[in-house]
Amino acid sequence: MPAAVNQSRPYFDKILIANRGEIALRIGRTCRDLGIDVVAVYSEADRKALHARFSLDSVPLGPSPPSESYLRGDKIIQAALDTGAQAIHPGFGFLSENTAFAQAVTDAGLVFIGPPPKSMEIMGDKLSARQAMVAAGVPVVPGTTEPVADVEAATLVAGEVGYPVMLKAAAGGGGKGIRIVSSAKEIDSAFRTASGEAKNAFGDGRMYIEKFLPAPRHIEVQVLADHHGRVLHLGERECSVQRRHQKLVEEAPAASLPEETRAELCQAAVQAAKAVGYRSAGTVEFLYSEGKFYFLEMNTRLQVEHGVTEEIYGVDLVEQMIRIAAGQPLELPEQLFPRGHAIEVRLNAEDPDRNFAPSTGVLRNLRLPGGPGVRIDSAAYRGMEVTPYYDSMLGKLIAWGPNRKLALRRMIRVLQELHVGGIKTSAGVALRILESAEFQKGQYDTGFLEAMLAAEEDLGRPISPLEEVAAIAAALHRQHTAARAQLRPTTGNGTGPSPWVLQGRRNLVDHQPR
Amino acid sequence: MKYFLKLARGRSFELAIEEAGEGRYRVDMDGRSFEADFSDVDRLGQYALRLDGKAFAVSIGEMETKELQVNIAGESFSIVAEDERERKAGEFSGGGKARGETITAFMPGIVIGVRVEVGDKVDAGQAVAVLEAMKMQNEVASEQGGVVEEILVEAGQAVQANQPLLRLGPEAEAAE
Repeated sequence: MPAAVNQSRPYFDKILIANRGEIALRIGRTCRDLGIDVVAVYSEADRKALHARFSLDSVPLGPSPPSESYLRGDKIIQAALDTGAQAIHPGFGFLSENTAFAQAVTDAGLVFIGPPPKSMEIMGDKLSARQAMVAAGVPVVPGTTEPVADVEAATLVAGEVGYPVMLKAAAGGGGKGIRIVSSAKEIDSAFRTASGEAKNAFGDGRMYIEKFLPAPRHIEVQVLADHHGRVLHLGERECSVQRRHQKLVEEAPAASLPEETRAELCQAAVQAAKAVGYRSAGTVEFLYSEGKFYFLEMNTRLQVEHGVTEEIYGVDLVEQMIRIAAGQPLELPEQLFPRGHAIEVRLNAEDPDRNFAPSTGVLRNLRLPGGPGVRIDSAAYRGMEVTPYYDSMLGKLIAWGPNRKLALRRMIRVLQELHVGGIKTSAGVALRILESAEFQKGQYDTGFLEAMLAAEEDLGRPISPLEEVAAIAAALHRQHTAARAQLRPTTGNGTGPSPWVLQGRRNLVDHQPR
Repeated sequence: MKYFLKLARGRSFELAIEEAGEGRYRVDMDGRSFEADFSDVDRLGQYALRLDGKAFAVSIGEMETKELQVNIAGESFSIVAEDERERKAGEFSGGGKARGETITAFMPGIVIGVRVEVGDKVDAGQAVAVLEAMKMQNEVASEQGGVVEEILVEAGQAVQANQPLLRLGPEAEAAE
């Protein structure tokens, strides 16, 4: 029945996913649900990865370092051409916000599943983005829209804006090249170090100045724009639980936001997308402080935390991106209504007790949660080696509930059911966040997590009622493994005492009076 | 067998375990006793624990021989567990001040830089090298301090966890 097959594949027959891990698997899942064949690419370290197993074709890219594999746009485009893929989905990270790559994909006669290079270019530079937003009437944080030439110019502008100010790299991202300057005395050294850091990290040392907002909340809006002039928003997400600008817990909708502010915020996001000729799914990030919101940046790609929006709107954002890229009009109604509340916890391979240092090694054991309202987006499996080459995120745990209270309780249950063996994760910290009074009340800002960690450092954590149970379990484990070790023959060639003899000896020892 | 347990966050416990057969144990801890039912679920660290009838899904990872990572209901505890023989053996060794220090990588990664040179004096807690993994840079610090005797790695080199990076000797004429 060729006709029926064609109908079930309305967009593309085959898509290459230029990514790895959890997000490559998540995008591949939607493709397979839609009847679209998947081409996976993988590095040496990812030969056994799930994303490369659950695909029709899988193409090796080369050695493990990203610069030799997942950042090799040329190899990726060649792989798409060789396997007959018609489109490339870049996921997030790696090449997803690389304008030259998006252009090269198009030049090769393939479809880039993302926005036009021009929108990426404007939003990719913090200063040109600020200029575009000012022109479109979207509020930005007070400060400069041009780079400040040197320390003297910076001092002058900072004086006008008023301390404290933020010094930010125009090409910045991931918290690099940012300094808070609280007085004129500090600006000289702050400017030099931040500019140097930006030059090293991004090859661009241009700096600009923004007013420092005290205790802002991070609220972002999901947008979808098609090639037929329609731009929709899918409400907001709150991502204020951050450590060093890295998000750890996200929720949708925002914990508490006045209804008229929410409407204005979402409208501003639509305006922002329109101003740069945006197409595809994108996220407009805002800072919300003292009742006002300000444009922060736009991420011109699928966002890590897109799942919470999907859960409350019942919309598959990856499917929408594919449809839009294929030139189809959005079929969603103008007014979308969210249902309930969703919370996401990022599961990172890092050791919270060692200042969140990456934790690598073999994932010796894995017990994943489940049940009503639970979604696990992860490509982790037992026996997987967590290498130092890539991002530390193992996956995302998402809990949905008809209201925030139930979603929160569900997320706590999910974390209680989860077990990751062999490597350390951020799950324990996430549990303490969810159980904190601030988070439960929905009264938290971007300073919350660092303050919580600092308080734990200073005052110590409250003694857990499970501490004694853990101690008993540890001792029982030692007793149990000692018994097991004695049962095992000490050598493989049969010259050691038999397990029965050892068991006998052990019984004797155990029955001796102490 | 008697066990001595120390939690990473301070509390210590002393407890005695007596096997009662069929995976059942009698546990005495600080004058209180418990009936424990402890079964190995998968031989990969998961256990079903019942303590006086209350159920706990426990999983235990061995970080090193004596250091255990015990997870219960999403909470994680780092516990150093010694049995009575190990405790006795430990009392004979140890004690004396260690001479010199070998600084090792606490994680696998790439050496971004070494901040000291042979002959430099290093204080306890001072960062001596920077490692990068998963896009994050982390400092490696000396625990005891001393004088740099040998640098075993160079910038750009990939290292495994626990690989020696630097060797420190005792400080000459160390002030006590």
